[in-house]
Amino acid sequence: MTATVPARTPERTSESPVPPRRRDRRPAWVRALDSTTAYQLLGFALFAVAWQLYGTYWGGLLVPTFTETVLAVGDLVVDPEFWSAFAVSNQALVLGFLAAVVLGVPLGLLLGRFPVAERLSNVYLNILLVTPMAAIIPLLVMSVGFGLASRVILVTIFAIVMVVVNVRSGVRQVDPALLQMARSFGASERQTWMRVLIPGALPSIMTGIRLGLGRAVTGMVIVELLMVSVALGGLILNYRSRFDGAHLYATIVLILIEALVLIGAARWLESRLAPWAVNQRKNG
Amino acid sequence: MIEIRGLSKAYRGQDGSQVQALADVDLTVRDNEFLTVLGPSGCGKTTMLKMIAGLIPWDEGSIAIDGVEVDGPGPERAMVFQNFALLPWATVLDNVAFGLEMRGVGKAERHERARELVTTVGLAGFETKRPGELSGGMQQRVGLARALAVQPKVLLMDEPFGAVDEQTRRLLQEELLAIWEHNRVTVVFITHSMEEAVLLGDRVVLMSARPGQISEIVDVPLERPRSSDVGGLERSSEYSEITAHLWERLREMHAEHGRVGGIAS
Repeated sequence: MTATVPARTPERTSESPVPPRRRDRRPAWVRALDSTTAYQLLGFALFAVAWQLYGTYWGGLLVPTFTETVLAVGDLVVDPEFWSAFAVSNQALVLGFLAAVVLGVPLGLLLGRFPVAERLSNVYLNILLVTPMAAIIPLLVMSVGFGLASRVILVTIFAIVMVVVNVRSGVRQVDPALLQMARSFGASERQTWMRVLIPGALPSIMTGIRLGLGRAVTGMVIVELLMVSVALGGLILNYRSRFDGAHLYATIVLILIEALVLIGAARWLESRLAPWAVNQRKNG
Repeated sequence: MIEIRGLSKAYRGQDGSQVQALADVDLTVRDNEFLTVLGPSGCGKTTMLKMIAGLIPWDEGSIAIDGVEVDGPGPERAMVFQNFALLPWATVLDNVAFGLEMRGVGKAERHERARELVTTVGLAGFETKRPGELSGGMQQRVGLARALAVQPKVLLMDEPFGAVDEQTRRLLQEELLAIWEHNRVTVVFITHSMEEAVLLGDRVVLMSARPGQISEIVDVPLERPRSSDVGGLERSSEYSEITAHLWERLREMHAEHGRVGGIAS
């Protein structure tokens, strides 16, 4: 039907696509100094110096200095005992987090699309959001025991709320104009899900997964501190009872590093899977 | 032919009062006609268009297309949206092919057809871009190509050029005319611009607000094709007469509803 229409050449359109950002003309070293990384490094250096001073002059027995902590980190990194504790802890983390994603994403999608489901479940989600999770640990121990299962369940409960809540709001925030557009072209419910709702909610799904990951790490440590002194939590309690501040801090530092690496990986994945959302955030 | 008979729709306003969005609207859109609908904001013109599209229900009356009652969206109609409604994650090509995809057309075939349409609307070379990388005018070209791709008998356009700048709007009008002159489908085109309504339409339907009603239908006897000399057209005396008349009517409406609403949305 369009064969007879003369093709319009792009030159005829006066509008140009969105222009790329202006090039920064300052010298490379100035730009490097002005980057976020530079400020982060500066902030960290100030923090380390303050810590060092405090630890040296006022810290006493239980607050190690920055350098002591760094040395202890070096110790732990070559200590097989640490790595086996790390592996045991992460077992619960990996299983619990995967369960949270596998259960939480579909649940969030349903809640976002169907208001009835949402009304049924809202109370419970809010309870999960505000309840101090530590309170349900004794309950878990009583019903499931001290094993891997109850650690996995706790990590799941910690993480799943963030996943569900974010996925739900992601589905709800899909532009209604897009849903109307899809309907006008005769999209079926399945096509609407696959082509509009899920891609539209993907940025929020990824955010939920990233925040859920943070909560999963928290859950992993808390359950070991409060319920069963195994693995990393056990190590922390152990160092505390020996007044070994440096190693205690070092363990926590390593957990922090793990959390940062995982969240960084989630962020990277987000930018790969939903690049348009990252662009929107930059522009808006 | 689109036949609208006794179409009415009321909804409850925010203060609880009943608002008559459309009151007893009768309208016949002829085959292959370019019909523009003009009116102040709140006159129900977009509501009416979305009813023809089968997207929103009405209280009373009927809409029939070639004798068949409208009951939801159908393959013979395609819509171009005011705010483009493009999928931000999909490429230009996939956006244009969206309607075909919903109809189960295979990937190779729908991409081939989409590519033709992308060329028709002047976006050749932008197939792999995403909407966020395009200007507003280019985005609406994608919206137009998407609607044309499903080869509709009826093209429903909801203030399609309302969200772009004046210069771009001008180019888009010319191009829409050129495309339509080669492929005369029935067009229902909503606008709040008098100039646009006269420039494009065979007839201009003037609607008034509160309640939403058709107040007059004005014939536009300007010669076609119009795409080649839009500037000359605008200097013609017929054009000035029609726009002057429309302006008179709009001003009357504005005086009646002066305190509650303006002309442009």
